[in-house]
Amino acid sequence: MVNEQVFREVEAFIYKEARFADESAYDDWEALWEDDALYWVPTRPDADPEVDISHIYDNRARIGTRIRQLKSGFRFSQVPPSPMRRVVSNIEIISVTGEEYEVAANFMLMELAIQSTRDMNFWGGSIVYRLRRVNGELRLFYKKIMLVDADEPVANLSFLV
Amino acid sequence: MTAKMDTVSYENLIHREKVHGSLYTDPAIFQAEMETIFHNGWVFVGHTSEVPKAGDFSRRQIGKQPVLITRDRDNNVNLLLNRCTHRGNLLCNRTNGNASTFTCPYHGWSFGVDGEMRGMPMLQAMGEGFDKAELGLAHVPRVGIHRGFIFASLASEGESFEEYLGDAKVLLDRSADLSPEGEVDLSAGWLKHRFKANWKMLPENNTDGYHVGSTHSSMLMATGSANSGAFNDEMGDPSVIRDWGGGHTELDFAPRYRMSGRPFQWFGGTRKSKLPKYMAAMEAAYGKEETEERVLAGPPHAIIFPNLFLAELNITYFYPVSTNEVIQYYTPLLLKGAPEVNKRAMRQTEGAMGPGSFLLPEDASMAERNQLGLEALTPEWMDLRRGLHREHIDEENGLLTSSVSDETTNRAFWSHYLTMMSKASSRAGSGC
Ligand code: FES
Ligand SMILES: [Fe+2]
Repeated sequence: MVNEQVFREVEAFIYKEARFADESAYDDWEALWEDDALYWVPTRPDADPEVDISHIYDNRARIGTRIRQLKSGFRFSQVPPSPMRRVVSNIEIISVTGEEYEVAANFMLMELAIQSTRDMNFWGGSIVYRLRRVNGELRLFYKKIMLVDADEPVANLSFLV
Repeated sequence: MTAKMDTVSYENLIHREKVHGSLYTDPAIFQAEMETIFHNGWVFVGHTSEVPKAGDFSRRQIGKQPVLITRDRDNNVNLLLNRCTHRGNLLCNRTNGNASTFTCPYHGWSFGVDGEMRGMPMLQAMGEGFDKAELGLAHVPRVGIHRGFIFASLASEGESFEEYLGDAKVLLDRSADLSPEGEVDLSAGWLKHRFKANWKMLPENNTDGYHVGSTHSSMLMATGSANSGAFNDEMGDPSVIRDWGGGHTELDFAPRYRMSGRPFQWFGGTRKSKLPKYMAAMEAAYGKEETEERVLAGPPHAIIFPNLFLAELNITYFYPVSTNEVIQYYTPLLLKGAPEVNKRAMRQTEGAMGPGSFLLPEDASMAERNQLGLEALTPEWMDLRRGLHREHIDEENGLLTSSVSDETTNRAFWSHYLTMMSKASSRAGSGC
């Protein structure tokens, strides 16, 4: 669907986004987003965000609020930020429309809830990214995270997933 | 019987101005609470709008016990124990859906959504004179419904539903009265949030106005409302907390909304002109004056004891798991006949409620830290004296009322808890 060079570029972008999230590098992570952003954590694979409640359904403005809150130093559920490491794999380019790429991947994330329980939380699921090339650079405008246990009781999800 | 039954003296653990830390950590107390409050008392279970059509079902728990809310062909809402009457298999393992029958996969017994037994493979072995009616699913003995909110008790006798709800039923009315059709709709699904904390921290926290300025300071900063004076009676917030009796409590923001003089302060301060269809439908249903009043005062922020939280445009309930674990559920309070409101209510709930929201993760962290702190056995007591000297009976409604940062609601919770638990414990004691 795309040549090797473009695939590597997409893959590198995804790894970078994962690293910024793992390291709670809030400004760097926020800077990846386009204005028409959607950061979405539904509760079911077939969820319709207009009728089904989502864990997270952030447009660009709300991503901004989320980051401001995390950076305030008083987002107590992330003070200090959870130590995290995630593995993103099974990357496939699903579709290409002009300079836009829809990409699917799987992920596994170890998150240490250091703020309270010190539980090692194990998160995982699939991700759909939509990337756009703007002035030669890849930018993020859609990230849908389908947690395997999204419809089960989960611990705090206030870190960058 | 020679073994002495282990009875807890709740009177010694619960005082007006302080409660004992062991109430959150003692496994014997947790067991007694499950029995007395969650199995024998009345609890919130769900809403009729979750099973709108015949055959619809939704899985729930009453305390620890799995149940099904179903709607049968005669349009009755049933609460059935989710246990096959043969050898106990969990009959239905789906969260919700629609079914004509429930068939147990173990040996194939089948049941109607009304609970009646439909059939079983190789019936002859049951012997002559066997009557299928004997082996229908167990019904929850007592079910009470008000404005579609379903409550239940697993005890066949005891305080009536009307006595249990008491005056607090007007709080449910206030939620439903914001719909031009007078009905709420809880069909958006539930977010489920695990707290590693004792369940009592939830009802105690949910009408606690005092924690907001500190626990949720980051939200107030991020949204630019940090210095608004909200939740700070010393800065003039006229909001009040109330004891409705029966353990039901309220944090009433209406005085703050009224002071602003602007409608929809509970809805991001939206202007009426942004909700023209909603306003027209409300005025057609209730008249102009009444509509003005409702959109000014807004929905309640209140606890219906023990496990329902009317959180303005959200509904929340929980299940205790153990002394130090509880699962909290959230859904938007959608209003029938109000699509303009509902569209935004979804987004408002996502912002405020749930494990990924801007508010509840802090409440979860604080509850978990409380639980960890209580591992320290000194001091033994938790202090609850705030506002004792100034709480008073509000002449307008006869309810014990105090300022937004006081602990009147905590004391109301504990005084009802004490009544329930000590009654049950003295019954248990006299049986020995
Ligand atoms: S346990 Fe259900 S049919 Fe046997
Ligand atoms: Fe809170």
